[in-house]
Amino acid sequence: MQFSSSLLENAVNEFSKLPGIGKKTALRLVLHLLKQDVGRVQMFSDAVTTLRQQIKYCQRCFNIADANTCSICASPLRKQRMICVVENIRDVIAIEATQQYSGTYHVLGGIISPLDGVGPDQLNIEALVHRLQQEQTEELIFALNPNIQGDTTIYYIQKKTQHLPVKVTTIARGIAFGGELEYADEMTLGRSISNRLPVERLVK
Amino acid sequence: MQLQQLSIVQFKNYIQQRFEFTERITGICGKNGIGKTNLLDAVYYLGFTKSYFTKTDAANTHHGATGFRIEGVFEKEANTHKVVCILRETGKKEFYYNEQAYDKMAQHIGRFPAVFIAPDDVHIITEGSEERRRFMDALFSQLDSHYLQQLMEYNKVLQQKNSYLKLLAERSVSDYSLLDVYDAQLVKTGSSVYEKRNAYLQQLLPLAGTFYQQIAGVDEGLELAYQTSLHQYPMQQLLQQNRDKDIAAQRTTQGIHRDDIGMSFSGEVFKTTASQGQRKSLLFALKLAEFEMLKITKGFAPLLLLDDVFEKLDASRMHNLLQWVCVQNNGQVLITDTHKERLQQHLAALQKPFQLIEL
Repeated sequence: MQFSSSLLENAVNEFSKLPGIGKKTALRLVLHLLKQDVGRVQMFSDAVTTLRQQIKYCQRCFNIADANTCSICASPLRKQRMICVVENIRDVIAIEATQQYSGTYHVLGGIISPLDGVGPDQLNIEALVHRLQQEQTEELIFALNPNIQGDTTIYYIQKKTQHLPVKVTTIARGIAFGGELEYADEMTLGRSISNRLPVERLVK
Repeated sequence: MQLQQLSIVQFKNYIQQRFEFTERITGICGKNGIGKTNLLDAVYYLGFTKSYFTKTDAANTHHGATGFRIEGVFEKEANTHKVVCILRETGKKEFYYNEQAYDKMAQHIGRFPAVFIAPDDVHIITEGSEERRRFMDALFSQLDSHYLQQLMEYNKVLQQKNSYLKLLAERSVSDYSLLDVYDAQLVKTGSSVYEKRNAYLQQLLPLAGTFYQQIAGVDEGLELAYQTSLHQYPMQQLLQQNRDKDIAAQRTTQGIHRDDIGMSFSGEVFKTTASQGQRKSLLFALKLAEFEMLKITKGFAPLLLLDDVFEKLDASRMHNLLQWVCVQNNGQVLITDTHKERLQQHLAALQKPFQLIEL
C-alpha cells in the first residue's frame, strides 16, 4: 500500500497491529478519524492512553479495576466466600452477563499448557491458594474451557488445595440450551447421558 | 457388497474413464505407469474419502488440471448405492452418498470398507514400532470410535507432559504436582487404550498367525505378540516408577505410545532373519487378519485391493494366497499385475469366473 503521507502510514501501521485488523480496515478507521474534529480524536486517544496508564489489576482477584480492589471484590452484595476461577477477563464479562452469579472471581491469566510455554508458575495459582487459606472460602467453582488443558488446570489446582476445607465444583458440561440433540456431537451427548440431572434440579 | 461401476475424471493419470466390474474377481493388467495402482486408489477413495498414498487431495488431480471426480456404484444387500467424490477447483472436497452430501467425511468411513495391500506396505514389518502402532490404530479406530477418541486424548496429554518435562529441566523446579496431574490423565486414557488393544490383538494376532501358515504352507514357527510394558505393571505404577528417568530424559519413556507387535521366528527377530518373500507373506497375513476382523464386525466382506501381489512370492505361496482371497473369501477382489499371461493363468487356475481389464 502506497501512502502520500508518512503520518497516515504510521497511523495505519499502528492500527493494523490490533487483533483482527488488516491493512485495509486500518486505513478505513484512520480515514474515519481524519474526518472527525480534532477535539473528538483527542478524546479518543486520551481514552486509550489513560486506559493503559491508569488501569489497575485487582490485587485480590486479578480482574481489571480502577482501584487496588475491583468493584466485584469490594461489593458487599457479593458472596465473598465463593470464588469462580476463570481463565481471563473476557470470561468474567461473559459470566457477569448471565446475572446468575453473585460470588467473586479469580482470574488465572491463562491455562496450564507447557506446549505454549505456560507452566503453573506463570499463572495466578499461588495467589488463589493463598486466598483460600486467608478468606475462609466455602466454594470454589471452576469455569474453565472444557478441554484437556482446562481439565489439567482444574486437577492441578484441586491437588494444591485439597488440604483445605473447600467445596470444589465445576460448571456443567452438556447439551447447550435451545440446542438439538440430533446435532450435538457424540462426546457431549455421551457425557450428558452419563452425568444426567435429577429433574427436580432441572426445574429449579 | 460389490462395486459395479466406477467412473473417474481427472484423477491422477486418468482424464476420463469408465469401468464396469461384472465379476467378483477382477484382474487388472498393464504396463508400468499405466494407472493400475491409481485405479485401486480411486476405489479406496470411495471407501475412505481419501487416497491410500498421498496426504493432500490436490496431489491426486490429473497433471495440469484442478479438481477431480470419482463416481462409483456399489451393490449392497440387493440395493444399489451411488457414491460420488468431487474435488472442486477451489480445493473443496464434496462427498455424496445417494445424491446426499455429507457434512463430515467421517460419517462415510466404514460404509464401504476396503483393505488395500500395496508393495510399500512392507514397511509395517520392516520399519520401527510406530508403523505397527499406526496399522493397529487405523484398524481399531474403525472398529470402535471411542478408541480413537481415547487415543487422541492420550496423545494430547502426552505432548503437554513431555513439554512440561522439558520446561522442568530448564527451570529446575522440584514441585512435581503437575506431573501427577498429567499422569492421572494419562492413566485414565492409557489404561483404556491398553485394554482395547489387548482385546483386539488377541483376535487379530492369532488370525494373522493362521493366515501366515496358510500362505507359507508349512509351520515356520512364527510368533506374534502384543509387546507393552503395561503387561508387567499397570499404567499408574509404570509412570510412577519411571518418574526420575522421565525427568532426566525429558520425555515419557514408557506407556502405550511405545507399544509394538513383536514378531519372531522361533525366538529370532523376524525383521532381520526373514526373507523378502516371508516379510511379504507376513504383511499379507496381517492385512488379511485386518480384513477378517472388519468382516466380523461389519457383517459383510470388505473390498480387497491387491496391488502388485505377484512380486517376491514363490508360486506355491502365491497359489495359497489366491486360493484364500478368491475362493474361500466371498468378497470382491481387485488384483493388479504387469503380466497379462501370468495374471490370467493364476486366475484361471482358481476355476472361478473372473474378469480381466487390460489398461
